[in-house]
Amino acid sequence: MFSQLKSRFGSGLAVGIIGMIAVWLIGLVILPQLLMVDYSFRPNLLPADIGGPKDAYSLTNYETLFSNKIHLAIFFKTIWSSVLVTSLTLMVSYPIAFYLAKVATPQKAALCLLLLIIPFWINEILRTFSWYIILAYKGPLNALLLGLGVVDRPVRFLSGDGGVLIGMVYAYILFMIFPIYNAIESLDTNQIKAARNLGAGWIRTHWRVVIPHAKPGIATGCIMTFMLAAGSYAVPALLGSPGSRWFTQIIYNWFFEGGDWNQGAAYAFLLLIICIGFIALVMRVFKVGLGDIAK
Amino acid sequence: MDSSVHLDNTVMQFGDFTAIQKTDLTIQSGEFFSFLGPSGCGKTTILNMISGFIDPTQGDVKIGGKSMRGVPANKRPTSMIFQNLALFPLMTVAENIEFGLEVRGVSKSERKKASDRLLELVALEGSGTKKVSELSGGQKQRIAIARALAVEPQVLLLDEPLSALDLKLRQHMRTELKAIQRKTGITFIYITHDQGEALTMSDRVAVMSAGRIQQVADPITLYRDPQTSFVASFVGENNGVKGGVIESNSDLVVLDCGPLGKLAGRSQGSVNVGADATLFIRPEHFRLQAESGMYSLQATIDEVNFEGAYLTLNANTATHQALSIQLGTHQFSESLKKGAPVSLSYHEQDAIVIAGEGHV
Ligand SMILES: Nc1ncnc2c1ncn2[C@@H]1O[C@H](COP(=O)(O)OP(=O)(O)OP(=O)(O)O)[C@@H](O)[C@H]1O
Ligand SMILES: [Mg+2]
Repeated sequence: MFSQLKSRFGSGLAVGIIGMIAVWLIGLVILPQLLMVDYSFRPNLLPADIGGPKDAYSLTNYETLFSNKIHLAIFFKTIWSSVLVTSLTLMVSYPIAFYLAKVATPQKAALCLLLLIIPFWINEILRTFSWYIILAYKGPLNALLLGLGVVDRPVRFLSGDGGVLIGMVYAYILFMIFPIYNAIESLDTNQIKAARNLGAGWIRTHWRVVIPHAKPGIATGCIMTFMLAAGSYAVPALLGSPGSRWFTQIIYNWFFEGGDWNQGAAYAFLLLIICIGFIALVMRVFKVGLGDIAK
Repeated sequence: MDSSVHLDNTVMQFGDFTAIQKTDLTIQSGEFFSFLGPSGCGKTTILNMISGFIDPTQGDVKIGGKSMRGVPANKRPTSMIFQNLALFPLMTVAENIEFGLEVRGVSKSERKKASDRLLELVALEGSGTKKVSELSGGQKQRIAIARALAVEPQVLLLDEPLSALDLKLRQHMRTELKAIQRKTGITFIYITHDQGEALTMSDRVAVMSAGRIQQVADPITLYRDPQTSFVASFVGENNGVKGGVIESNSDLVVLDCGPLGKLAGRSQGSVNVGADATLFIRPEHFRLQAESGMYSLQATIDEVNFEGAYLTLNANTATHQALSIQLGTHQFSESLKKGAPVSLSYHEQDAIVIAGEGHV
């Protein structure tokens, strides 16, 4: 890498660029993380005790989660709900991605992509608030459902898991659509025609030809959506409280309300470990390697 | 079984562009039928209509006498070999071949038997477990054929399947395709823009230009008796000379070609006295020695090329008409050189006259 940079920019600039990257990586990514790891293994002490005899490494902070029934339940609910969000987002996104990549004319596809992207020019908090309004007990969605006679009483979408699910599917849909769209786009349309020509119905054509081809894209989309969902703070805070609590909210509380950074760091790492485990699992299930995803 | 294909007054339009003009054509059961035409003339569009990927704007496609209107692509008794083959790269060779049977719910052991039999047919025994990417171009070709045959179609549609192969392999595959067609007795509808391919393999050929079928005939008729000037100049090489019709009796027409004198040939279709017409002479029909009853053209040699068994000459007439001439090598003499005058004779039976200005 250095020799490439050197041949392009000269050695002075190359050293500068590498140096800056190194500072950024070490100073802003690696060191803070290491610091948090260090924090997570140490007890929360008064400033006077730090460095004293009580300041010893232990797994206590990690054990807290397993002894606290409520936290543990929220932890698993967060993981489970994130899985649910991921699968719902996949189910919604796949048809859209397929339509955009293979069915729509280029003009229509461009228009749809634009319509999908425009809402994301608005800040996430504002977007979530707009869902807050839409889903409100006396909001437009309930008015519509009542008007159509689908329900006879307004539905309480908010302050529960339903609102959080809807909000998250919407918040992360682009992260799912784009990788799948890219993957399907690269599929030779004649492959689909060939499957049809050999007698395959639509379901089998997707199952045997389109989905296997789009697998890396699907895996990328699922991983991104899961990570974002599990680590989300704004959506559950706005659409779920107080009925539905997310594990990130507990981590937040440890840091900023409990003032116990050590405990918060341990919780955050547990979430990270589970997320990495999930990625590994998804990659196993979809039989894709890191290289496929980086494409 | 009747596996004829009937394009019943079919028209295909994309927006306000007419890709296929009104066509009425019957392809016989068991026939090797080719569509020949330049790029963009609508060949693939015809296959797409037959296989059901698009529906004709007007008219109907009938297979075995049955209307295919409303029958989706996966329910038609056709099977296609795509211009780019479109093998499934994520499946093995055997899985590719068995795909159509899997769709039909055929049991695994039956499928295996079928794929073994087809691999043998295309001379690739034992390659079933290979990946598609491990095959050579010609092998992929043969797997595509096997995959299409596996579903026992009534009609096999082939969209320029040999265009990606090198010359030698192409010639080899031509014979193989022909052999497979004889063995299976299926109707083959073959698309190509290579006239040699169309002429050597087909029972009949339809020559197309700009969405219109110009002529449907067996290869020899197509070569000897082209009906339109497009066919005359597209199939094989031809020299076209324009002139005004001064005499037209039964099947012989005499043209006044100005400074080139009077030239005669067999008429194709109706050619009226006083109208413009084009006389077509194939390069191999020119002679250097005139015999009685022959017509002659005077020209100046522009180039002489020795090609082994024969010589090709490029010559120009006084009217700057370029002519190409093919002679047996034994006719070579020192006098055939650049700039030398040459008298080119032909039998009137070997030339044809087609009404209109023609395009050469
Ligand atoms: N789906 C479509 N929409 C609009 N125009 C189309 C469509 N499919 C084909 N055409 C047009 O119809 C004409 C014929 O196309 P077609 O693909 O049949 O040509 P072809 O004879 O197979 O050419 P080639 O030898 O290059 O494959 C072309 O002008 C093409 O642009
Ligand atoms: Mg084509």
